[in-house]
Amino acid sequence: MAKLPVSLTINGDEHDLLIEPRKTLLAVLRDTIGLTGTKEGCSTGDCGACTVIVDGKAVTSCMVLAVTASGKEITTIEGLASDGELHPVQQAFINTGGYQCGFCTPGFIMASKALIDENPDRTEEEFRHALGGNICRCTGYTKILEAVLEAAEEIRTTA
Amino acid sequence: MSEYTVVGQTVARVDAVEKVTGAAQYGADVHPPGMLYGKIVRSKHAHANIRSIDTSEAEKLPGVRAIITQDDVPSGRRVFATDKVLYLGEPLAAVAATDPDIAEEAAERIKIDYEVLPVVQDVIEAIKPSAPRLHGDDTKDGPNRREISGQIRKLSRDKENDHSDEMSKLEAELEAYPDEVYYNISAESHTEAGDVEKGFAESDVVVEDTYVIPRVHQTYMEPHVSVASADSSGKITVWASTQGPFAIRSGIAGTLGIPLTQINVIGTTMGGGFGGRFGVIITHVPAVLLSQKTGRPVRVQMTREEEFTDGRPAPGCVIKLKTGATNDGRILAREALAFWDSGSVSGASIGSTIRVRGVYKIPNLKVDAYGVHTNKSGTAAYRAPGAPQAIFAGESQLDEIAERIGMDPVKFRLMNMREEGDAVPAGGSEPKVGYKETLEAVADAAGWWDREADENQGWGVAVGDWTNGCGPGGVYVSVHEDGSARIFHGSMDITGTDTAISQIIAEILTVPYESVTIRRGDTDSAPYSTGSGGSVVTFTMGNTAKLAAEDAHQRILELASERLNTNVDDLELRDGAVHIVSAEQPKSISLGELAAYSLSTTGGPIVGKGSFARQASTPALAAQIAKVEVDPGTGRTRVLKLVASQDVGFAINPMAVEGQIEGGTVQGYAWAMMEEMQYGEEGNINPGFVDYRVPTSADLPTVESVIVEVPAPNGPYGAKGVGEPPITPTLATMANAVKDAIGIRVTELPIKPEKVVDALKSNGHGA
Repeated sequence: MAKLPVSLTINGDEHDLLIEPRKTLLAVLRDTIGLTGTKEGCSTGDCGACTVIVDGKAVTSCMVLAVTASGKEITTIEGLASDGELHPVQQAFINTGGYQCGFCTPGFIMASKALIDENPDRTEEEFRHALGGNICRCTGYTKILEAVLEAAEEIRTTA
Repeated sequence: MSEYTVVGQTVARVDAVEKVTGAAQYGADVHPPGMLYGKIVRSKHAHANIRSIDTSEAEKLPGVRAIITQDDVPSGRRVFATDKVLYLGEPLAAVAATDPDIAEEAAERIKIDYEVLPVVQDVIEAIKPSAPRLHGDDTKDGPNRREISGQIRKLSRDKENDHSDEMSKLEAELEAYPDEVYYNISAESHTEAGDVEKGFAESDVVVEDTYVIPRVHQTYMEPHVSVASADSSGKITVWASTQGPFAIRSGIAGTLGIPLTQINVIGTTMGGGFGGRFGVIITHVPAVLLSQKTGRPVRVQMTREEEFTDGRPAPGCVIKLKTGATNDGRILAREALAFWDSGSVSGASIGSTIRVRGVYKIPNLKVDAYGVHTNKSGTAAYRAPGAPQAIFAGESQLDEIAERIGMDPVKFRLMNMREEGDAVPAGGSEPKVGYKETLEAVADAAGWWDREADENQGWGVAVGDWTNGCGPGGVYVSVHEDGSARIFHGSMDITGTDTAISQIIAEILTVPYESVTIRRGDTDSAPYSTGSGGSVVTFTMGNTAKLAAEDAHQRILELASERLNTNVDDLELRDGAVHIVSAEQPKSISLGELAAYSLSTTGGPIVGKGSFARQASTPALAAQIAKVEVDPGTGRTRVLKLVASQDVGFAINPMAVEGQIEGGTVQGYAWAMMEEMQYGEEGNINPGFVDYRVPTSADLPTVESVIVEVPAPNGPYGAKGVGEPPITPTLATMANAVKDAIGIRVTELPIKPEKVVDALKSNGHGA
């Protein structure tokens, strides 16, 4: 299949690539760039494990064709910590035990970060509904919600 | 708890940073140079003869490197179907290509000529003489044809109080068919204690009902995956997302007829398992065969859809249950007849039907269970395999009895619970377990005793028991010249077990938790370890780790006695240093100094070894209370409160234990309220998250967990396995709460809104 030129900015690094139009952003991140922190859980946009942030919005990267992301700023789980410091959302997931097997965790952290950036003042109930696109099978969500509320509080008070 | 400094404390897990930064390496993250992508070719019919498989069009596709069928399995052991398929999605062939899309396209180009056969998907249909026979053997003593015992037949004819359609259908069929034979039977299990007929005769109240529990998928978030690499010498390396690398090693060796030493299995970080991640054929063997054929590494990764069609989910079942009790609340007899949907192969956890006995003093018990073949994939373990199904029946019926005799459901359970030394029906005598403590704890925490409910609100309670497994394991621990310690073992971390092992080592060596690191070896390097399932890891590997640390501890004291020129008996290891206990002049040497001393003299590295096989486990109880509100218009049930207590023996890492309780409870909630693998004439019809709904954070409130600690005599620090018990009572907890809210007893799960609306309408409560 013919390949098209694609320019992606991923975690601040520019990548100029030749990509088949049928390849998803998820496939390019994982198989071409080698950033495997973003997970494939369903390939149908239903589980949220592949959530990344594109131009500030959380998206399921299995539902995005890579060619349509050309020229956009993409942040993956690998790009969240800076200067050796974990992002407050990452730290909160550790503090509260908001992960178990960890497979859904990158997606949850990216989705949570985007939600908190947009509005850190959501209530628990609002976060519960806003995170309804991400599936976790291990935690029962109780400790994930604790993590998100703790991170939101941290970001609110230090912003 | 205060006598310990590291165990019993909440600590951040050893894998915390790699899990929140995306660095943890799961199966599909392995990408050796030159890797090809495998794809399994699957049956498009649920039951069919295979006339031919034509791979010629697929072979022409550029990028295709190999196509294999059963002809390519040198051992002849069944990996792919040949002449007949028994379920939708059954593997027929596999492709390896340079790109995943090419592999998928090639798989679609393979032409299979089917002769479609009649399909049977329902266990009650499958046991009838008119059913298609999956395995063909119709001889009187054939393995899939069983004579019905007189006792069971009598039970199935006892119509009193049973309004179930399922059993009425069976009843009519049996009446019409005098042969007294069940068909498509894969296995059977029978248990009897006391005399149930006598027990029912002496009972004031007898309740009988039929419970239908659906097949559900474990739905671990990481689909099955393996990467295999066969080198030119014949050595095979398999990166496997599995609960049991050693079982995968022996499984591959057995299937392919090659020596164990020729296979190295590297367990990758596991994206959930819940019992479903032990199967060897699913992806591992096809990956190995494709790598052998191409001489290149091959990854075989299932899609979510393939997980639903060819995973190994939990079996559904039909359980007919009958319970007799006296008006003053004593349970006298219980009798069960169960048909478990085993799918195309045997393996459903039919022995778990015995769990209908619960934790109660039931003097008369009879349990008959059959595994039944249907046109579905085979089944596997799912978190306390078989127990949620049996306990749903048992605990639902207990509430019906309590209601008939006018007794509070918690009090009724407390009154009948076994105590230390009581006989376990068909199973020895009861050890000390916190049954009553756990139920009382959840009742107190939930506010059961002064509970209130508005209209359409209700409260439900149930308990479930489970006993952790046990198996062999080995652990080495090394103490280094900087005072740190390193653990080496071969057990897969199952959401926190590496952390528990590290805590135990730190506790015994009296060093900070942060100075202990843990490394998992592959099957070539690590000592054998039992699989990470059956809640075994903290019990088995915790005991093993304890032995290793105690061995190192002994060596430390010996070396210190040499260095400090005193008797071992005068020494104490405390705060990371060895101290002379009774010296007039206090004298001590740190572990680091001692390790350095040992390296520079004749002592050598400080290494402790632990090797463990098994010890008797102690049962655990999970007790749960839910408060719900049912909308009579939409039939939707909303959970207002969900409280879960569990006797965990001893919580080595309380935050991790809470996480297990919360997660297991929500899986139980999902089985009760939403999950169901649905089957039509051509197999599974809901193979994805849109049609097979699992809960999200929007579906539930906070789960309140309550830890109860009644130590297990043989557990490390008294710990019991905690992973499985919390799923066991939730199905009944929810059904009992719905019954309390709207007066409708749902015996067929899941309790979907449409079912509630229909039931309300037929009871004259139409919206």
